[in-house]
Amino acid sequence: MSEVQRRKYSQEEKNAIFDGEFMPHIDSMYNFGYRLTFDEDDAKDLVQDTYLKAYRFINSFEQGTNAKAWLFRILKNSFINEYRKKSKQPTKVDYQEVETYYNSDDVHYQSTSDLRAESVKDMLGDEISNALNSLAVDFRTVIILCDLEGFTYEEMAKILDIPIGTVRSRLHRARNLLKEKLQGYAQNMGYNTDVDEE
Amino acid sequence: MKENASGERKTQCSDESKCFELLESILDGEMIDSGKEVLKEKLAKCQPCFEHYHLEQAIRDVLKTKCTKQAVPTELADSIRKQIQDIK
Ligand SMILES: [Zn+2]
Repeated sequence: MSEVQRRKYSQEEKNAIFDGEFMPHIDSMYNFGYRLTFDEDDAKDLVQDTYLKAYRFINSFEQGTNAKAWLFRILKNSFINEYRKKSKQPTKVDYQEVETYYNSDDVHYQSTSDLRAESVKDMLGDEISNALNSLAVDFRTVIILCDLEGFTYEEMAKILDIPIGTVRSRLHRARNLLKEKLQGYAQNMGYNTDVDEE
Repeated sequence: MKENASGERKTQCSDESKCFELLESILDGEMIDSGKEVLKEKLAKCQPCFEHYHLEQAIRDVLKTKCTKQAVPTELADSIRKQIQDIK
């Protein structure tokens, strides 16, 4: 967000922006909150908090720009700054794990699994969802933003306050980790054996 | 390894890291204009690229279609509106 002083919106304009540009994203916001916290009440608090902040700082929102990305950035910051601090059960120490493990943007892109497209297509929603939920929060987040919500790399960079190169590499790693999980499921289910059944 | 699917594609990719990065960007919608031709060429000529592309595409598809959205509690929107009303 730029420091430029913007004109202030009138009460009417504020209402219009809030109802017309902010509220329509409540479903996506709630889902993001839920997939970050795995708790309905926490997700509700996060979303509520985000909307209150959005209203309070509505003058720094530039009409016509991407409201959804703006809201997601607020939610993500609330999650990091407030939720994680007060949470009784912090989402493990994902960040540390992520930083020590994968601290560089230079990824060598490679195929890390023998998983086949056909086995993936046969998987159930629960398996996919569980695999996604099992990823560390940073990895889970980029997948949610990209694949579930359809944000571009550039939007994700703004939401997460990281360079585009990091978005790209984190996404690649996230999907590789996801594939490892899915491959585990596939093996258990016998999906990846090449059987011809009709 | 399935052999019948490979046809005339080469079985080794000459620059897997670059190719896969490119394919993933294309799938993520990052190279809308320039991507199509490159993609066509890669998929026609290189088996590892072909397989990687289809696996990555399948992953994105199932994520999009099978990670169902959590139903939003009905009272949430009302409760937000009420609180906004209070600070207006
Ligand atoms: Zn190739």
